[in-house]
Amino acid sequence: MPPLAALALPSLSPELLSFFATHGIVSVEDFLIRDIYQLPGLRAADSDKLRKAVTEVLAFLENGHASWRNGWDLFNNLEHNIRFLPTGYDSLDSLLQGGLREGTVTELVGASSCGKTQLCMQVSAHVAVRFGAMVAYIDTSNSFSSERLEQMLNDLLNSQREVEKTGAFMQALKNIVCYRAFDVYSMLILLQKLNTSIENHSQKTHSGRLRLIVVDSVSSVISPILGGNISQGHTLMMSIGQILKKLAVDNSIAVLTTNHTVTGESGNFKPALGESWKSVPHVRLLLRREIADGIYVASLTKHSSQACTKEAAFSIGRSGLQANVNHE
Amino acid sequence: MDSLTLPLPSSLRSKLLEAGFANTSAFQHLTPLQLARDANISHQEALAILKTVSWMNCADQYSKEEDILSSAKTAWDLLCYEKSRKKLRTCCSELDTVLGGGFKPKELTEICGVPGVGKTQLGMQLSINVQIPSEFGGLGGQAVYIDTEGSFMVERALQMAESMIDYLKYATSSCESTVGLGMSLNVDTFLSHIFYYRVYDCTEQLAVVNSLEEFLKEHREVRLIVIDSVTFHFRQDFQDWALRTRLLNGMAQKLMGLAQKHDVVVVLVNQVTTKTNGEIVPALGESWSHTCTNRLILSWSNGCRQVHIFKSPSLPAATASFAVSADGIRDVESSKRIKLCTISSP
Repeated sequence: MPPLAALALPSLSPELLSFFATHGIVSVEDFLIRDIYQLPGLRAADSDKLRKAVTEVLAFLENGHASWRNGWDLFNNLEHNIRFLPTGYDSLDSLLQGGLREGTVTELVGASSCGKTQLCMQVSAHVAVRFGAMVAYIDTSNSFSSERLEQMLNDLLNSQREVEKTGAFMQALKNIVCYRAFDVYSMLILLQKLNTSIENHSQKTHSGRLRLIVVDSVSSVISPILGGNISQGHTLMMSIGQILKKLAVDNSIAVLTTNHTVTGESGNFKPALGESWKSVPHVRLLLRREIADGIYVASLTKHSSQACTKEAAFSIGRSGLQANVNHE
Repeated sequence: MDSLTLPLPSSLRSKLLEAGFANTSAFQHLTPLQLARDANISHQEALAILKTVSWMNCADQYSKEEDILSSAKTAWDLLCYEKSRKKLRTCCSELDTVLGGGFKPKELTEICGVPGVGKTQLGMQLSINVQIPSEFGGLGGQAVYIDTEGSFMVERALQMAESMIDYLKYATSSCESTVGLGMSLNVDTFLSHIFYYRVYDCTEQLAVVNSLEEFLKEHREVRLIVIDSVTFHFRQDFQDWALRTRLLNGMAQKLMGLAQKHDVVVVLVNQVTTKTNGEIVPALGESWSHTCTNRLILSWSNGCRQVHIFKSPSLPAATASFAVSADGIRDVESSKRIKLCTISSP
């Protein structure tokens, strides 16, 4: 909780604050757990001021907390405001009940070269074209390739007439903004700046609002600091998770992250970042690749609103994810 | 800004959070003495914290003016850059084709393969090729070669440099306007523009990577960093696997930052290991395999050397064959005469 001084309430005069400080009351938390009226050493003349200050702080806190919402409100919000962003591949969309849901965090887990980055770029391309919305792509492993994105967009816009195509193509690319962060601190700062500028941005410009944040990958900035005897790495990891969720919920943004796999005790692959990160994504998709026949399989391992038994197979071609040719 | 993001020791951080300083705005108008009292820390510590905060705020103020959504690089900007950038060629046209024109600046590329398949040869060839002057369509840069195994042979580099110069002279001799360019090349400059580090243990290796930032600031011409091999020391002396993973991942993130900032090609050579089922896979395990942008696997096939693109965000999986001749890395059929570069007309 913030320090009392940061509330900037008129009744909290410097004298009163320093009086509190002598009793070890600095933050709002200290203020709440101590019995203010029983503090020794208060002059009788000041007791009025004190009473006024206490009422004002309590009133401030009363107004400050978030208002209650009931289930009906939430349901209405879901019906009218929340959309599902299509991934651009139908079987995957039906696996996810329509795509990436705004306000939630979806995570792709998989071994290296199993299509995580390809899927990230494909979703970005689709969101930029279909919704004309902005996409923030945070790249932590130098794997964002605009040349690859160009290929995907070219096929996506193929049905349009030549004249419109060039414009639409350029607009789509301009809708995707890219950031690079190679350590966890720059990542945190970046996310916080995003948080502040999203509000300003939507008022200023006429282009579509930000609907998707892609973080590819979360694990590469966190794995250098996680583990051993350092508990700080864990704290930083969870604060990244917290900010991502906050960004998603406050602004109805779909967040897509990727995570890599590590070898577990039994020699099987398991998602990296451990047990506590597991609670961050709302939806977790496990990707794997059958090297022999070039088939990729996505299976649902966590979903907040449906059973996780389904799988979708695909292959990756020039235009991105496509139905597996052998299967049909 | 959240206090969590301040670069402070964790003990101080937790004291600050305990005293309610969760946001940097809480530090405004605070004297060191007040902070020391409120957060129950020493006067010096308080002073250091306030300095850090005000420094961070300055940096923040500077960027606060522009909203980071509209000032960021868009995919369009990046596409324009990617289209215009020159790539580092390998002297093997088949390999260049599958790589989409060569090794790309700003990316980490890992080369894996069994001993003797040509990993070091490729690394050395790249250190020569990066120096091809821009008039010849090259990058015109310099190279940093970090050798952990002692496999860099300067005689071999000399051979490669000589045949490269011969080729460049031959290429220019046909065209009058560029004859002079070919004549000005000599072996000494080629060799003196390879900065060579020999490292003897993993601590040294990490130290060199950490000091590269400074080095690159002084040597702005450097366009290639080769680490041959990234594996060697990390395979020998490690008990704690989790620590190894952390160190390696940290190193890779540093290299990515460098590659991005200084526009260099980073090539990491990796060894291979045999799994229990006899399958040959790149060393350093699963979590390392995520770190590199591109992974090339070198192997033997019917007495011929092959490169397989195993992982790349921008290139489809493909295979190309190459040869190692006296001149260096070359095409298989015509290992003598190569179509290396086109001379840009002035």
